[in-house]
Amino acid sequence: MASATTPKSILKKPSYPATGSSKADRDREVALYHANLIQQRKDIELKILLSTETLIDYPLAAAPYDASNPSPADARSFKDLLRPFQPSDYDALIVERNINEHCGYALCPKPRVKDGGGGKYRIVGKYGKAKDFRVVDKEELEKWCSEACAKRALYVRVQLSETPAWEREGFNSVNIDLLDEPKSEEGKSKERQSEEDQVVEALGELNLRGTEDQVKKQDAADLALERGDRGYATKNGLVDVKIHDKEVTEPVQAPSLDTDDLSSRLGTMHLTLEGHTPSFGSRKQRRHHEELGDIEGENSDEDTDWKL
Amino acid sequence: MSSDEDRAIKMREAGERESARLWRAWRTVHEMVQDRGYELTEEEVKISLEDFKAKFTGADGTIERKLMTFSARPSDAMMKKYANPPTASNPNPPSADIGTIWVEFLPDTSVGIKQMRNFAQHLSANNFHTGILITNVNITPAALKIIPAVQSETRIECFLEQDLLVNITHHELVPKHVLLSKEEKAKLLERYRLKDTQLPRIQLGDPVARYLGLRRGQVVKIIRRSETAGRYASYRLCV
Ligand SMILES: [Zn+2]
Repeated sequence: MASATTPKSILKKPSYPATGSSKADRDREVALYHANLIQQRKDIELKILLSTETLIDYPLAAAPYDASNPSPADARSFKDLLRPFQPSDYDALIVERNINEHCGYALCPKPRVKDGGGGKYRIVGKYGKAKDFRVVDKEELEKWCSEACAKRALYVRVQLSETPAWEREGFNSVNIDLLDEPKSEEGKSKERQSEEDQVVEALGELNLRGTEDQVKKQDAADLALERGDRGYATKNGLVDVKIHDKEVTEPVQAPSLDTDDLSSRLGTMHLTLEGHTPSFGSRKQRRHHEELGDIEGENSDEDTDWKL
Repeated sequence: MSSDEDRAIKMREAGERESARLWRAWRTVHEMVQDRGYELTEEEVKISLEDFKAKFTGADGTIERKLMTFSARPSDAMMKKYANPPTASNPNPPSADIGTIWVEFLPDTSVGIKQMRNFAQHLSANNFHTGILITNVNITPAALKIIPAVQSETRIECFLEQDLLVNITHHELVPKHVLLSKEEKAKLLERYRLKDTQLPRIQLGDPVARYLGLRRGQVVKIIRRSETAGRYASYRLCV
């Protein structure tokens, strides 16, 4: 009988095509992939550290500018440098600025206040409305030059993303607004503004109005984020996912109850579930046929053993 | 009148306590540097409180931390311990990764990125291989990130004054830790047919590992006294 033939495996055939690469190659790929992830993370962490170091000595522009009207150049680089920051990194920046006796808000040139008096708490809002009255930790007050700066700094903090930059999709999407933007549009400060600043600013405005490409790209990135394609690391991930949309060439039609259509379906209508008609047995039969076809060439009596 | 005197006495007592604290930290860090194998004279290590005060008391009558710095060169024995033995595949190994050490006490009441950066620059500018920064306060987490960032240029280690008030290795419950040279490590692994990862471990942040300035991959021999076996040794890999 069937002694010579090897028994047919009942296990599923592997669904993936056999790749040419050996196990060692694949292992190497996986190791490289993870090494790259770690390297990316390290790079971003270093960048944040260097940005923090830079921002300790901010603002760079002198006298006419202050926290309520920062110089456009400083404001711009402040926003740029802050992009990869998480709130905790921002807090670290405030601590570092305070160590150097600067106001915690990076665009403020004033020193922080130091309350020489004893006691751990201070009362604020004594003379305003009752709702402004608060008891505040003295250390909290000493981080800033004034309450206005505390507000400005926290206004920025809440805009930072809690997600680490290396897990974000396109962290350029973090756009930070200042409570007090540069007031350079006003005529008098415009004169003081350097030519370079003016050009860069004009370019920025141009970009906003001119191209919709930017907006489209941003939308696509945001959508990807929503779908869960997180992190710009996953872009070069292990699995190469390509999405092919099914192309619909005919105009779409609403389902109808046309009589001729209906008559052809009447026989199976009672089986239909929400428009889908399950075909009992048919797939199984099909597979059965296929297997028989497979076998017939070599050993046709295998399936008829039960007859004996 | 008498309250003024009281205050003066209290001030002086506080000053004395502070001097004694700093003297003990100074002694411990010298013992530490000597135990690692750097060259220091006995007079430098065993300085008396009086000599210490005479040397470092500033104009205002308190100890000036700014003056409390020293450097030391590795001894020949230490150079040998850190040497890379030539192997078949690499007959001309790089020279020992060790050099002059610089120790500094920082007076600042808060230590951030700036102070750490200054320290790193001082080390690089003077070609110090290793630097030990001793502070009175905790260093900010952001500043500690400077250490790996400058690792290719110089090694920085940080200690708190309060951690150096006693020399932990002098405690009777702390067994003796001896660093093995690369050659000794290779012999040990060969003798027991081990991979180094099969050894028990000691953390890089372990107080004794920090005291000896251990690096990842180094092996220490730990010698304990035992009531039944006299003395016995065990080995640990620094991870
Ligand atoms: Zn301010």
